[in-house]
Amino acid sequence: MAAPDELFCWEGDWGLPSVSTDCLVVLFILTKFTVFILKYPGICSPWRSPGGSLPALRTNQNETLSRPSDIIIHLRKQKFNADFDLSAKEGADSLAFISLLEEKLMPALIYTFWVEPKNFVEVTRRWYAEHMMFPLNFFLPGRMQSRQLEKLRLLRGDEHLEAGEELEKELYRDAAECMNLLSQRLGSHKFFFGDSPSSLDAYVFGHLAPILKCKLPNGKLQQHLKSLDNLSDFCSNILLLYFPRDSRAEPSAQKAPAAPEAGDFDNVPNKRRKQFLSALFALGAMLSYALLTGMVSIQHGHQEALEEPPDPEHIGAHEEEGDG
Amino acid sequence: QFLLADRFHLKSTAAEPWPENATLYQPLMDDQILLSDHASSLSVQAYLRMCGLPIQVVCRYNAEYMSPSGKIPFIHVGNQVVSELGPVVQFTKAKGHSLSDSLDDVQRAEMKAYMELVYNMLLTSELFVQWCDDATAGEISRPRYSSPYSWPLGNILAYQKQWEVRRKMNAIGWGGKTLEQVQVYEDVNQCCQALSQRLGTQPYFFNKQATELDALVFGHLFTILTTRLTSTELAERVKSYSNLLSFCRRIEQTYFEDKKLMKD
Repeated sequence: MAAPDELFCWEGDWGLPSVSTDCLVVLFILTKFTVFILKYPGICSPWRSPGGSLPALRTNQNETLSRPSDIIIHLRKQKFNADFDLSAKEGADSLAFISLLEEKLMPALIYTFWVEPKNFVEVTRRWYAEHMMFPLNFFLPGRMQSRQLEKLRLLRGDEHLEAGEELEKELYRDAAECMNLLSQRLGSHKFFFGDSPSSLDAYVFGHLAPILKCKLPNGKLQQHLKSLDNLSDFCSNILLLYFPRDSRAEPSAQKAPAAPEAGDFDNVPNKRRKQFLSALFALGAMLSYALLTGMVSIQHGHQEALEEPPDPEHIGAHEEEGDG
Repeated sequence: QFLLADRFHLKSTAAEPWPENATLYQPLMDDQILLSDHASSLSVQAYLRMCGLPIQVVCRYNAEYMSPSGKIPFIHVGNQVVSELGPVVQFTKAKGHSLSDSLDDVQRAEMKAYMELVYNMLLTSELFVQWCDDATAGEISRPRYSSPYSWPLGNILAYQKQWEVRRKMNAIGWGGKTLEQVQVYEDVNQCCQALSQRLGTQPYFFNKQATELDALVFGHLFTILTTRLTSTELAERVKSYSNLLSFCRRIEQTYFEDKKLMKD
């Protein structure tokens, strides 16, 4: 019997089976079939994947496929066709809407998770750093970010793209329009074509689920998505029906910043205590230095003390030792 | 790639009517222009003709550098310069000319989706075949691209452009692959199949009236059919869909009857 294919996916969080869009697409497609594929869903390091990136499907011919579209084509060749019951026209529409997603929504996704400074520092980088092992967690998130920024730059055709208000507005406007169009197309149906999911549903789910579930400081995309009821219900239903275990898991990263009143301060736990201890330590060090060098002396005789009260130490006034 | 600042300009010049001397700039037809650029230029020309707006086509070897976004083609209308089909459509809309007003919401969603399909699959495949296939790049693309310039400037510019396009292919996962490894012709086939399905037996993609989608599809398919490349596979893929062929012929006869559409 042929060896099974192996699928490597990013770990999940926030109620999702995986945090990566591409992984979600592949995982959802696979729920449609009972395919004998070994899944390794909890991968936290792209170095453990055969292709160097996730998701990755290692076929039994030892070929590694990384793009969801390639994986879907591979499954189709093995007679697992996600779009089997679509008519020709529906298949054409499917292709068109997937292109729409990739051109209009994906750049905004990349921006909101990887380029927007606040989101990246507080959520994305922290999540990857926490979930990767030492010493990868020091440099890998940063490298992933530069790769994503590069990708965004190439997609937009602008070499000097930087995070900013204007870029954000443009990208979010395109994304909002895309979501509106998807919402209009979905209407009140359960899935985009008929009663069973197809590859378009997988792509939409893969792109929208992270937006819906992940709590980001700059959550404009999420707000817009939540205002489109049919799309949010679409994602939630899929999670409930097809990934019940993950959707029940409480999002672990919701031990959110516990020091919100400090404004833009970094989230350092026990801030006050640390400050107090530091001050105490500094004071103790100064005092012991002063005592040891003789700037301050503790006088035992009361009479002498009455006449000349010891001067404060830090001005460096030297006291004659009154010893006798 | 429509800058915010341009939108303010739009509002202020919306009142001005379309001038007679509007011009469209593109690279030199016979020697310089490449498949993908010609396709984009033809799309914009077709769109403007469909709107009934007069436009003169002017060929300049440095059209790419004159363009505000670096992409071909661009139009010079009054004192405005607008490049690429998307912004041109919005620009003409601000002036009160639009082809897609009669569409309902669902149809407009489909139109936008299919336009993205063309950009995503067809344009990307064209770019790949032109610049990432060594044979085509060496025999056709680089010589044509560098033809207006003297050596070594032409060479440098051509290689620079090739490097740029190859980097972009990296971003979508097609980097460093040959024509056989990548599903280029398969993608073109799928795209044409989707377009053919959508068109069916209608004269245009939506209702009985041409929209920007028709202009875009015409621009790309006509150029693919009439441009000579190192292999005819690209054209063959399109030819296998007869309704697309008759669609191209129809648009050419309806909107370009006065003009001989030269290729190459």
